[in-house]
Amino acid sequence: MRVKAALLLALLLGATVAEAQLPGLRRRGPTPQQPVLSTIDAQRAEFAAQSGGTTVYFGTNSAILGAPAKATLGAQAAWLRRHPAVVVRIEGYGDGLDTRDHALAVGARRAEEVRSYLVLLGVPGAQVSTTSWGKERTGLGRTVTILVR
Amino acid sequence: MKKIFGSLLLLGIGSAAAAQQPTAMVIAIPPLTSPDSGNKGNEMLAIGWNVTQAIEADLRQTAEVMPLKPNRDDYYPYPEVTGPNFTKWRQARAKTLVTGFVQGRSDGRVTVGCYVYDVEKGRELARKGFIIGANDWRRAAHKCSGLAYTAITGAPGIFDTRIAYVAETGVGEARTRRIAVMDSDGQGHRYLTSGDAMALTPRLAAKGDSLAYVSFAGGRPAVRVIDLGSGQERALVPGDAISFAPHFSPDGSRIAFSMMLGANSDIYVASASGGALRRLTTSPGIDTDPSFSPDGSKIVFESDRGGSQQLYVMNADGTGQRRITFGGGWYAAPSWSPDGQSIAFTRIGQDGRRIGVVGADGGGEKVLTSGPGDEGPTWAASSREILFQRSLGTGRTTLYRVSLDGSDPRELATPQGGSDPDWSGVAE
Repeated sequence: MRVKAALLLALLLGATVAEAQLPGLRRRGPTPQQPVLSTIDAQRAEFAAQSGGTTVYFGTNSAILGAPAKATLGAQAAWLRRHPAVVVRIEGYGDGLDTRDHALAVGARRAEEVRSYLVLLGVPGAQVSTTSWGKERTGLGRTVTILVR
Repeated sequence: MKKIFGSLLLLGIGSAAAAQQPTAMVIAIPPLTSPDSGNKGNEMLAIGWNVTQAIEADLRQTAEVMPLKPNRDDYYPYPEVTGPNFTKWRQARAKTLVTGFVQGRSDGRVTVGCYVYDVEKGRELARKGFIIGANDWRRAAHKCSGLAYTAITGAPGIFDTRIAYVAETGVGEARTRRIAVMDSDGQGHRYLTSGDAMALTPRLAAKGDSLAYVSFAGGRPAVRVIDLGSGQERALVPGDAISFAPHFSPDGSRIAFSMMLGANSDIYVASASGGALRRLTTSPGIDTDPSFSPDGSKIVFESDRGGSQQLYVMNADGTGQRRITFGGGWYAAPSWSPDGQSIAFTRIGQDGRRIGVVGADGGGEKVLTSGPGDEGPTWAASSREILFQRSLGTGRTTLYRVSLDGSDPRELATPQGGSDPDWSGVAE
């Protein structure tokens, strides 16, 4: 049974975000204690709250967007259109049981599918970039998940 | 009296070794001698003892050759280099014998002579001399090991080769991954990247002068090339496209790799210096992990264009693409053997990932490892062994080597955890 792969939308503001783009958990954990939020933290929290989550899910080896994924992305697109100054990076993940390079390609393909869908919904292309972590960082990112939720 | 004791001891060791590994060829390596005398002679004998021990360590790594432990009591005078005592080594159950000498030269360097004999037939199999710096005895030992290995197996030796891999430390978020290179015996270990950015899939050029790998330094995975002489590093292709899975052509002039164009991963080839970019595949599926045939005329790669990951072969210009795996299950990460005969792969099935080989024509498939977390095969120069990465249940990943004869895989020691190995050809 392959673990469902996750795709995270992390919010970026300018160049200061390099350390804050780590992947999120795949499911919602217990509500964390909220520190005082900086601007970017507040925006992340708002983005996550108003778009129904920062993660969309795919089937094994698939980059096809299902109905739940499209609903999440629809809400994200609406939020992004209201916040044209906010830049997001779409980070795709492959399947943990896949081989390394195929997983990189699958992750990149998933990220690209999400980007295409957001652009289709009217988000300017310059607002969304993509990358792939393949199977290299699945299961990580606990810290950042707390940050954005 | 002492000498007799030494022989008896050897006899005992030889028998035990033969019982453990009946298929391995037992080889005797008495300490290298020297024609020099006095202090010079002692100096040369000391080098010779180092060389002898290094030869033993080299040959002990192999599945085919079983060295008897060198014993200083088996010292022999210089004339016996070319007239060895075959009776003695027959009694020790050795099938093959290595003799040799170290001789000082007027320029400060030394000559290492190396001879390989068939003990049963009392016949010379090979001989070779090397002139080296006195501190460079390890290279001479590797060359001598290679001479013996080739004389026994007919295959190129694997000793004067290098292994590049990803050194992994820490777990989870704290994990760092750096590109490292070492000699195949573990000597000369050094890091090529700092660990600030994640690095994957190092691939050495055949001459060992440069290395391609995938860096996440720019936020997206991209192929970079390091000149190992100067340490200079650069992106393979300009722009910010996602690129990965680099592999040098046998002559080192080109690099085949995968690049994303939108949601599509295809195989491209560029000159190793970055120019002359050419697209080789156009399927809407994921095409990746290209590996050249040793003559450079063909490329084996992985594609899911038919619905599942399978291996395909094409001409190096992209023409004539055809599927070669039909065994059921998924096939990935192919690597073409240096002798051109076989293709190693990672097979993905219900029981996890395992390493196997298939003939270059797609026939004679054989799975070599039990998995479940094996991947990334790379060939030894001999085409008789495969190095791969094995993920252990603990989250740790290490390098393993397996022989084509079906014997159990053995761990290859690295200072930290290791993944993504690449094994070079024999250095000039």
